[in-house]
Amino acid sequence: MLKRRLAPWLYSTPLFIIIVAVILFPIAYTLYISFTNMNVYHWFEFETIGLENYKKALLMLDSGFLPAVLRTILWTAVNIVLQVIIAFFLALGLNSPGLKARTFYKTMLMFPWAMPAYVSILLWRMGMFNTEFGFLNKLLEMLGFSGINYLSNSTNAFISCVVVNLWQALPFMLIMMDSALQSIDKSYYESALLDGAGFWKRHLNLTLPAIRPIMAAPILMTTFLTFKQFDIVYLLTMQRGGVTGANINTVLTYVYDKAFITNNYGYSSAASILVFVLIIILSSLSRSTLKQEGV
Amino acid sequence: MSMSKGARTRARLTALNIFYIVLIIITLIPVYYALTIALSSGGDILSSKLTLLPKNMTLDNFKTVLLEKPFFTWLKNSAILSVSTVALALLTGVPCAYSFSRFRFKGRKFVLYILLLLNAFPAILSMFAIYRMLNLVGLINTYAGLVVVYTGGMAVFAMWNMKAYFDTIPIEIEEAAKIDGANDLQLVTRIVLPLARPTIIVTAVMTLIYVWNEYVFAIQFLPGAERYTLAAGLYSLQATEYTRNWPLFAAASILVSIPVLIIFYLIQNHMASGLTAGSVKG
Repeated sequence: MLKRRLAPWLYSTPLFIIIVAVILFPIAYTLYISFTNMNVYHWFEFETIGLENYKKALLMLDSGFLPAVLRTILWTAVNIVLQVIIAFFLALGLNSPGLKARTFYKTMLMFPWAMPAYVSILLWRMGMFNTEFGFLNKLLEMLGFSGINYLSNSTNAFISCVVVNLWQALPFMLIMMDSALQSIDKSYYESALLDGAGFWKRHLNLTLPAIRPIMAAPILMTTFLTFKQFDIVYLLTMQRGGVTGANINTVLTYVYDKAFITNNYGYSSAASILVFVLIIILSSLSRSTLKQEGV
Repeated sequence: MSMSKGARTRARLTALNIFYIVLIIITLIPVYYALTIALSSGGDILSSKLTLLPKNMTLDNFKTVLLEKPFFTWLKNSAILSVSTVALALLTGVPCAYSFSRFRFKGRKFVLYILLLLNAFPAILSMFAIYRMLNLVGLINTYAGLVVVYTGGMAVFAMWNMKAYFDTIPIEIEEAAKIDGANDLQLVTRIVLPLARPTIIVTAVMTLIYVWNEYVFAIQFLPGAERYTLAAGLYSLQATEYTRNWPLFAAASILVSIPVLIIFYLIQNHMASGLTAGSVKG
């Protein structure tokens, strides 16, 4: 019987060893480093400096940490709101009765999701946003306008990053919305139509309440993915040898920048721990939301 | 004069069709533009005109990427890393997922919750700690080190994803085999795995694609052009010489994407369900 009780733990040991080694232990180690002044000059001879790094991150505005947190929240909110609204109407259109090519449209619109993310981002940077031979500026010049520098200042760069993120992330949201709409019983609409309910009334009163519980999980999942988005901001504005002058750090690019570009390991680790705490708070909030939605 | 109901519906459908076709064209522009650039000779991109097809169509850029750049070395490195990661993730993930699906034991719920919490933690946040740790144990610059890091990155996803699927397989099938005297290993290999093929495939493919597309860790942990994966190689090239040779970069991008595109469309029906399965159930 003891053998039976130990069996699941025994079977799980190999995976747990890996999880402890490359997830759990590094988190603990990051916590430890966050209390030290470890940097490129103090690689071995570092000292514990208490909460100094945390003070710097939280109390000094010019450290850039709090602005990065606020920017990440703004980035997440803008992207999710746009994605949900756009995906909802696109899916609604796809579900119009009589639209024969619906599967074809869906397959084609899924394309950005299928492309390797970093490849598409680099193609956007080189092919679309490039000031001299990029598609967008060539198009503007053909139409008689002068070109735009898409990545050089923070506002332009932020908008460009949102565009690329929408391009990449909309397919998933669209597929989810589409399957949510598919699951609604069509007879609901027939009685609503008989009552003479118009487009907005029908969808506000019938469609939205019906897809809410189904969409809660994918929307929350996308929210976290957007919050943790690294590649777009990094590859478009701050990669080595390609810094554009825009500063639109999100929390992840901020931590990466402090660790691997400016080599301030202790400080970067403190920022990591703060972000982790933030993520834990957000995910426990989201768990209670999901429970309320009855998922 | 008002249109008949049938004519109105037809007009609405035509408008919708036009809208979706235009939307698809706009969506595909970034990739289509890269394709035309990859197929054009060097001089074409300097012209300020946009053309639907390149003026002088040529496969030279693809030839250069395949023959002159260390493309095949990188392909080999990507293959080694991704296949090893998939193997390690499945070998360690299947028994764990099976345990948490079939056994009821103290601490089960707690561990599942902790795993979800850990999965919320982006690896980039502890990347420096991992780097330093691998450095201290001498695993930096080795495939083994990176394979373990990648497996850790996909471990929780793999375990949850497979567990969710195992949960849907009726336990009665196994009980019949148990009476016949099969042990746990036989149960898993002979009964569960064949039934769970869809989830094994999705988990394996997601892991494969993750490793195939990963460049941040690859560059930091396996420096040196001869050890680059395709993703790291492509990344490093666009930051250096390909900036001045955008047609070559476009050709390389397309070559790297083709296998991923094929795999994605082969398993597209499993993608959506496979991705959300683990995130929903608590």
